[in-house]
Amino acid sequence: MIEAHDGRTSQSYYGRPIVKPHVWRPYIPWYFWIGGAAGAAAVECVCARMRGAHRLATVEKRAALAGVLIAPVLLIADLGVPARFVNMLRVFKLTSPMNMGTWILSAFGGAIAGSTAAEILGWQRTSRALEVVAGGIGPALTVYTAVLVADTATPVWHAAGDTLPFVFAASGVASAGAIGAAFAPREESGSARRLMIGGAIGLLIAGGTMETRLGPLLAEPYRTGKAGEFRTTSMLLSLAGIAIGTLGRKSQTATRVAAACIAGACILERFAVTTAGKQSALDPKYTVEPQRARLDQARQPAGASRK
Amino acid sequence: MADLYDETAAEREMATHEASQPRKGFFTDTTLCIGCKACEVACKEWNQLPADGYTFSGNSYDNTGQLSGSTWRHVAFVEQLTRDAAAPPATAKDERAQQVVHTDGARWLMESDVCKHCTHAACLDVCPTGALVRTEFGTVVVQQDVCNGCGYCVPACPFGVIDKRDDDGHAGKCTLCYDRLKDGETPACAKACPTESIQYGDLEELRVRADARLVKLRDEGRYVDASLYLRDTDDGIGGAGAFFLLLDKPEVYGLPPDPFDTTRDLGKLWRQAAYAALALVGVTALAAFGAKR
Repeated sequence: MIEAHDGRTSQSYYGRPIVKPHVWRPYIPWYFWIGGAAGAAAVECVCARMRGAHRLATVEKRAALAGVLIAPVLLIADLGVPARFVNMLRVFKLTSPMNMGTWILSAFGGAIAGSTAAEILGWQRTSRALEVVAGGIGPALTVYTAVLVADTATPVWHAAGDTLPFVFAASGVASAGAIGAAFAPREESGSARRLMIGGAIGLLIAGGTMETRLGPLLAEPYRTGKAGEFRTTSMLLSLAGIAIGTLGRKSQTATRVAAACIAGACILERFAVTTAGKQSALDPKYTVEPQRARLDQARQPAGASRK
Repeated sequence: MADLYDETAAEREMATHEASQPRKGFFTDTTLCIGCKACEVACKEWNQLPADGYTFSGNSYDNTGQLSGSTWRHVAFVEQLTRDAAAPPATAKDERAQQVVHTDGARWLMESDVCKHCTHAACLDVCPTGALVRTEFGTVVVQQDVCNGCGYCVPACPFGVIDKRDDDGHAGKCTLCYDRLKDGETPACAKACPTESIQYGDLEELRVRADARLVKLRDEGRYVDASLYLRDTDDGIGGAGAFFLLLDKPEVYGLPPDPFDTTRDLGKLWRQAAYAALALVGVTALAAFGAKR
């Protein structure tokens, strides 16, 4: 079978996929968003605490706690054998980003839960110290999922290994900002509003950079089908959120509408990534053409050596 | 895995330390394959794998389609109806049309595909539970009693071999008949192959045999396009435990032309993630402390 693309052709076996698409259910993109937002929220919590914006800090901390309570449920629900979730904690395996992520999530969850418990018991110093610990682990929780998906044979994920962590970081930051902007009192939430708008701008830039660096062929899965719809809607929601949040910065209602838009944009971006990954695995040209190009390039200087 | 075998602890210990065990593998010579699918059947029977149901591809004699969690051997049928045209027909309709015109130049390429048992195995690297292990035979095996069905190995495999099974939720793939190997037996597929297209043995010996076969085929002038796929150890997966003699480009058989284990890029990936994490902290701090209010 010949498939033409930009004047090039690639062959395939009846158009069948070469690599297998991921088998994760929608729990996983939801987890990517919730885990990412929780990690960034912990960082914002520490920053707010340092500025004396304690109510904002509490909002971010509650968001992080909610995140670490929901996250394991989503992850376990997606397993083929949920009762064996704990098997991931029987080993410490540096070559497996998913194993590393399980440890990161566990440590982060322990710190946030411990800090909340200490807060209830009135141990303020312990509570604050554990907040800082969570704030230190938070960024890792936000970006490790990008490493996880990039460390696969899925064409658009692996090829985007340099930019995907920035997409995920921007999404986390924007979501944490949106949570603070929506739920913290106005006099304290200035930094969260700036973070929300900045994160949304960052998400647009990081997503655009990712597509550009993927090149015309591998950007296709992000522009077509369901993934294309997710990505376009995400970008429109980001733009709407930035516009509403900037123009209506004096109004709490407008701020909340902007926060909802930007949170929605972040969720859809995660769905765009997982769906584009699936689409890129299902069409063999995304696997064959980059590999062919690499082989041809390697062959040219070396001469006639055959692989 | 070990409790499946009636061994004493001491014997098990011995097996683990037997470093002298040569690496086992498959050499699949596609010039000998007659497409009988005996390997598919033998594999399913020996490993007690469920049937795939009655599905018809409508484009060839291949109704299996692909390797999956419950299909560990898959015979590909490539039907090239003109020898000089680089590609087989695109649709069933084209196929009929071309058949009328070019009946004389037709050739069938058949290839029994299987897990490659990579030297650098992505599935084994990314497995978060340690369920995927390397055996004393140098093969890669899923421990069914450890796997929790996270599905990470599925997109990680550069060949699309391993898959998650719907029935029991575990990942499944070829074990090179680990249980038969333990008893010194030949894997079921190789045993059932009537033409010795699937050859089992010590990997080193298979490589020598394959090299000789390639030279012979080329000298005879019948298969000048023949090449060995995954035979060398300098590729992206460090060489495979199961390699092939092909008559066309790998992608024609549904195989990747330049596969690699993404673990080789893991350092770079974490470095980019570290930069992104620093940016996250920087932006958050800037939003908090950068403005007057």
